[in-house]
Amino acid sequence: MSAETVLVEILGGHGRVQTRERIVLGSEQRAFTIGRSVEADFTLDDAYAAPLHARVEVLPDGKLLASDLGSVNGIVFAGKTHKSASALAIPDSTLQIGRTHLRIRTAHENLAPEKPDQMRPASILHDPAWIAGAGALIGGMQLAYTSWLGAPRDLATVIVTTLISGVLAAGAWVAFWALLSRVMQGEWRWLRHAAIFLGIAAVFVAIDGLLELGWFVFSLPHWGTRAAWVGAVAFGCALYLHLMHASNLSTRRAALIALIVPALSGGTGQWVQARYQMRDVNHIATSVRIYPPSLRLRPAGTAEDYFRGTAALRDAADKTRKSLRADDDDDESADDE
Amino acid sequence: MTAIQKHFFPALVVAALLLLPTRALPQAPSASPPAQQNQPVAPATSENARDVLTRVRPAVIQIKGFFGGNTAQAFHGTGFAVAEGGVFMTNYHVVAQQVQFPDKYRLEYRTTDGKTGLVAVLAVDARHDLAVVRAMDYAPAPLKLVPVTPVKGERAYSIGFPLDVGLTITEGVSNGRVEDSFDPRIHYSGAINGGMSGGPALNAAGDVIGVNVSGYRFEQLVSFLVPAEHAQTLLVRASQAKSRGNIRNDVTAQLRAHATELLGGLKGEILTQPTAGYRLPAKIAPFIDCNAAGDPSPQQPVQMVRISCAAKAGLYVQQGLYSGDLKYSHFVLTTDKLDAWRFANRLSELASATGAYGSRRHVGPFSCENRNVRLKGFDASVMVCVRGYRKLEGLYDFTVRVSSLNGSKRGFASHLDMYGLEFDAGMAFIKRYAEAMEFTP
Repeated sequence: MSAETVLVEILGGHGRVQTRERIVLGSEQRAFTIGRSVEADFTLDDAYAAPLHARVEVLPDGKLLASDLGSVNGIVFAGKTHKSASALAIPDSTLQIGRTHLRIRTAHENLAPEKPDQMRPASILHDPAWIAGAGALIGGMQLAYTSWLGAPRDLATVIVTTLISGVLAAGAWVAFWALLSRVMQGEWRWLRHAAIFLGIAAVFVAIDGLLELGWFVFSLPHWGTRAAWVGAVAFGCALYLHLMHASNLSTRRAALIALIVPALSGGTGQWVQARYQMRDVNHIATSVRIYPPSLRLRPAGTAEDYFRGTAALRDAADKTRKSLRADDDDDESADDE
Repeated sequence: MTAIQKHFFPALVVAALLLLPTRALPQAPSASPPAQQNQPVAPATSENARDVLTRVRPAVIQIKGFFGGNTAQAFHGTGFAVAEGGVFMTNYHVVAQQVQFPDKYRLEYRTTDGKTGLVAVLAVDARHDLAVVRAMDYAPAPLKLVPVTPVKGERAYSIGFPLDVGLTITEGVSNGRVEDSFDPRIHYSGAINGGMSGGPALNAAGDVIGVNVSGYRFEQLVSFLVPAEHAQTLLVRASQAKSRGNIRNDVTAQLRAHATELLGGLKGEILTQPTAGYRLPAKIAPFIDCNAAGDPSPQQPVQMVRISCAAKAGLYVQQGLYSGDLKYSHFVLTTDKLDAWRFANRLSELASATGAYGSRRHVGPFSCENRNVRLKGFDASVMVCVRGYRKLEGLYDFTVRVSSLNGSKRGFASHLDMYGLEFDAGMAFIKRYAEAMEFTP
């Protein structure tokens, strides 16, 4: 029997390898010891480990057997603490000594095949700087468009306020995800998160604008929750991509979170808005957006049809009026007088 | 928007002359100089004023309202004897809080001799801002009502307790009926200040020609009286009524009748006036006041003409609540400098609805319907928002925006706001209002 090499790895909090040590086993002595002392073959810096804590035997077929060398805390593997274990099999090659997580790799391990890289090296998606740049460009164009629409009034104010608040919000958002990446993955990934944020924002601002324009072009009835829907979808997409790049979550979990969080926050937002409207009886949420007449493709309906529809407003108004609680009238009447 | 609101509500323009300490006292300095100017008009007539005052003094009482068991007053006005047995006339707005919240407020009178006692409301006429009350244990000889409009220029006197400074007489001139007013009013050129509400306005013979009701807060000596004929009508009704009934329900019924009367006054054809190729509703009834203004500077990228009309028919219901009124404004834009996109953006800003007036105590939130609608010769965006009154069942507020969609160099946004009207009648008017608009290039 020739000498065999094993790798002993100390794993970090999120399953990443922190240190790795190569141990060469003798042809007869197919075992090594783990502990805090220099006499151990693999030395740990762990106050909860004994000087000579455990002995791991590597069988010729790669199976691992653990034996306790008289420790106080025992050995943890397969989800259980084993005290005074003697040649017990370690099923998944990982064990915990004291508070240290260890993985032992042998030549017999099953390695996953090499993943083919779908991204061509020249692809834009491979280089987040491109996406971030394009997103920023589209954002800038959007700002220029709104400033131009309002021109010549308030040009400087619009640019300064939008730019400052936008940059601050985007910066805070990207910083949050970068920090999470640093904690979970050990890398900041600034550019990638900036690309996700700017890319998503640009795409959905464009979608929202196109929807608004489309509603005008085709004379569709007012869709009050359009911005909320578009915002929720955009939030979900961004959340999914950020999570995939910042955490170790599986695709399914990330997707689930990206579904639930925007749905919850969107629902909460709508609820709060409805409450607010019940409080402020002078608030009218419906807004009118007018575009150049040459864009209109579908003619308007008749006045007869419209005013047939407005008859339903009485029921709607009565319903909201009655839903105000009877005792709910201690209010801002002081400012009306 | 604030300019429109200021234009509209009687609280801001025609000060209802019930004296509420919190709001009326600050106006005292501005109100007193005109009253002093009044005195040295002519020595001879001052003697006459003294005679009138001496004669009617016992018949005039101060009416005070108290919240709960407080001995400090909440508001006060004036009343005068109109029938035997302690029956007095005053304004509805003097007793409104007590009518609306009978368990929370009590009314007391105080004579010029300092005698006090309780006051009970017998009947009200919210439409003309009048109320008939009975004073317990005080029955002076009544004043005589003269239900004839005095001619312009006839001397007149107004009596009351302004700002709680004691019985006061002011001297002025009757200027006859206010022309084209929805509310029948006599124009009195003399001082009427907060606290004189409900007091008598008399002719030189000492007979009652009207009831003090209001004055413009920031103008000088433009005041209004309710003509005595309405006081007489209410007095007859009050004496014929077998029992007092529920006065609050009477008020609600009167508000509905007033709303019907207001929209009834707009039954005829809706007259329009041409502006920039559009024909838009103009002065559609004699009692509607319109004015138009624009920016004469040709440098503006967008030229705007604003036509504002108001009925000024709102009735005081209770503190902070008026009902039965209507106003509309057209913002007509033309440009030769802006492109179609930026012009449409300007129009959008005027097409949205902001800043309605109302309190959650009285009304619910708005529900809206917005659609593109084909009108005469052009397409428009029409938005109608409706909210209901919480206690005045069957009355609604309407906020309407009609904006043209057909011009890239010209267009308009029309705002119609109606307060305290019945739903079907209100909606029918909105339909006629929108359908009267026309584009004639």
